Amino acid sequence: MYTKFSRSVVLLGFSVSFLASGQAAPQSGGDFANNRQAKMLPTEIILAKGAWSSASDSVTPLPEGTRVNKNIYSNAYFGFTYALSPDWTQKYSGPPPSDSGYYVLAQLRPADTFKGTSRGSILIAAQDLFFTVAPASNAMELITYNKESLSAEYKVEQPPTVVRIADHSFVRFEYVSPVAELHWHLLATQIRCHMIQFVFTSRDTKLLESLIQEMNKMSLPEEAGPISGRGGGDVPVCIKDYASGENIMERVDPVFAERRFNPVPVRIIIDKQGKVKHVHFLSAFPDQAKAITDALFQWRFRPYLRDGKPVEVETGIMFGRAPRQPTSSAAAAVNE
Amino acid sequence: MKTMKLASVFACLVALFSPAMLFAQTDPGVRSNTGVNAGQPLASVTTNPNDLAFFQTGLAQFNEHQTVTGDNPGLGPRFNLDSCGACHSQPAPGGTSPASTIFPNVGPNPQSQVIANGVVSGSTNTIPFFVLANGPVREARFPFFFDQFGNANPNAPNGGVEDLFTVSGRSDAGSCSLQQPSFNAARAANNIIFRIPTPTFGTGLMANIDDSTLLANHRAQGGNNLGISGTFNHNGNDGTISRFGWKAQNKSLMIFAGEAYNVEMGISNELFTQDRPLPGEDQLGSGLPANCLNLAGVGYPEDITHSDGTTASTVTSDVGLFTVFMQFLDQPTPSTTSPGGATSIANGRKLFSAIGCATCHTPSLTTQPSKLTAGLGNATANLFSDIEIHHMGTVLADNVSQGGAGGDQFRTAPLWGLGQRIFFLHDGRCSNLLCAIEAHESNGGEATNVEAIFDQNLSPSQQQDILNFLRSL
Repeated sequence: MYTKFSRSVVLLGFSVSFLASGQAAPQSGGDFANNRQAKMLPTEIILAKGAWSSASDSVTPLPEGTRVNKNIYSNAYFGFTYALSPDWTQKYSGPPPSDSGYYVLAQLRPADTFKGTSRGSILIAAQDLFFTVAPASNAMELITYNKESLSAEYKVEQPPTVVRIADHSFVRFEYVSPVAELHWHLLATQIRCHMIQFVFTSRDTKLLESLIQEMNKMSLPEEAGPISGRGGGDVPVCIKDYASGENIMERVDPVFAERRFNPVPVRIIIDKQGKVKHVHFLSAFPDQAKAITDALFQWRFRPYLRDGKPVEVETGIMFGRAPRQPTSSAAAAVNE
Repeated sequence: MKTMKLASVFACLVALFSPAMLFAQTDPGVRSNTGVNAGQPLASVTTNPNDLAFFQTGLAQFNEHQTVTGDNPGLGPRFNLDSCGACHSQPAPGGTSPASTIFPNVGPNPQSQVIANGVVSGSTNTIPFFVLANGPVREARFPFFFDQFGNANPNAPNGGVEDLFTVSGRSDAGSCSLQQPSFNAARAANNIIFRIPTPTFGTGLMANIDDSTLLANHRAQGGNNLGISGTFNHNGNDGTISRFGWKAQNKSLMIFAGEAYNVEMGISNELFTQDRPLPGEDQLGSGLPANCLNLAGVGYPEDITHSDGTTASTVTSDVGLFTVFMQFLDQPTPSTTSPGGATSIANGRKLFSAIGCATCHTPSLTTQPSKLTAGLGNATANLFSDIEIHHMGTVLADNVSQGGAGGDQFRTAPLWGLGQRIFFLHDGRCSNLLCAIEAHESNGGEATNVEAIFDQNLSPSQQQDILNFLRSL
């Protein structure tokens, strides 16, 4: 039965099959790979970051440089330390700074060991007052704007009021959502031309009050206050729009390789000689950051004098597209 | 005695678990008792015979199956499917991924049927591992190019669409012989992500919202106290806010249609004028082989405006017709009573805003005056989106950059029509609303705080109200 003919068919089929596979030799590289033992990319890591925060050096503290060690929250840039109740923890880190100068510094929730019956959350955030989209230039104005922007879902329980926390002035503001039976208690102060905001959320007002009382254990820099704040020590003076007019003695515009339309908020520290010593990008693509850094290090500023002596200055510059301009009627965010 | 003990244990268990069972929140599922509530033209289109004829012609073209040669030529040489309407079909043409077992039972995932239906040759193509009969329609992307050793190179971003199928082996494809991308190797290297079709209902309204309206909404949401601060993607040509696609990477419906016609179906057109090779074939190789070009034999672009047409709809290109069809699609009609009843839905809507979901999922925005049709002008678009892109964190990150959107940034997905959608999130990983909500929480995500409030601070009945509200949309 196994004839020469059938044997030929089998051989022919085998040959055709072999030829076919030979024609479709797997490619490699680009969209093609044939190595099933290849190294795996890590999971849940953002490798393609887009516009992100970065800095010209890795030594100078940054606002986003949060540390949560056990239950101690600390931030070297803002110079404050906050000891949390041991049963509170950060499960997830926040997003990168936004291109409107908003930082999520920490978001805390009850740990698995939490024994209370009420749940809640703590959000510690910062808003760079040089780049805010709200028509406000200090913490008090921002919280007031916040109150005026509340939707009809909420009811104000305590309008913005100045209170003392840890021997510093804070703005305290409280509102409730009747339908959700949730209370929001906000406390805000101002450090280095940023509003620092603590947002406590829970159904249980007693829990909120106890958390706020714990804030009295905070260590804060001397300048912390809700309206003007006072710099000092090693902290540069922060001045809005210092990089303008006659303060700029030499200016080199950055050369961008690619046309983009994202806002690029930048904080710089100018040394006593008027040179840029530190550049912090809140949000920029890497090519933008490089071009702007290369340019800024060539800028020369008029040294800022305090009591006749030059001091370091921190200011903000918006590169790229700035589609909105806050329209504050109040004084600019200046520490002096 | 033994029976008594067992009864007591049972009674205790019932007492222990009944309240939880009674109040445990569940996704009500696809709303099926109110008919199909999407896919209709705007009322102003229905009352204008010319506009309606345009819409109907666009609908027919949207549902037409393309072939390599013949009456509807241009398919391939690479493609994800042969028709717009096959992928955008739930719960009506213009929508998203269908299912055969879920209302309105449109049919199985059409990509899973391409060999059975003769759209591709089974001797030269295989159905990729991520295409399942009861799963979502998907396109695939490799975030990074492979190097010559088969490793994904994080320093070589790719992110382009890797078309699933080739025309190779079809009787109308001549000698064009193309290999499918290495989907299995990409899975092994953790170098593959997916996207599902975005629904197009109401997109004419979205196209007609002025940038100033979006910026004002952005400013109004600035003091949200929730950890949220998004931004916009911009069109690279004129710098205005772009708004279509999972990362708001497309400026207009015409660009959206033209790109999809070329990328998803392989049909060159007046916006995208060449047949599209894979990203690596284009950037690292020599493009498509000569024997895979001009397979339709009609020259390029394969879809054109017809100068020999006699009516508006016969003159217009396919891309133009798709655009008109989508522009004229009305927004989905929500239910005020289903599921869960009017009280629950109304309560859920309030809770949705109260806990912060509406900070990004903006309930409504007003359109600018329209020259196209009255229904698009000065209208309330109940889209539940701010059209901003937000950092969604590591759980949802796909490591694909598009325009100004980075690897973990996504446009706030419009929620209109959610009640009759089957698959959620950009890659269709969830078919349960609770799964989709849970995915909003992760390292680096803007929505983590809001998700935690939903998860930890609402009662089960409040959570249920929100789920009912979402399924009413």
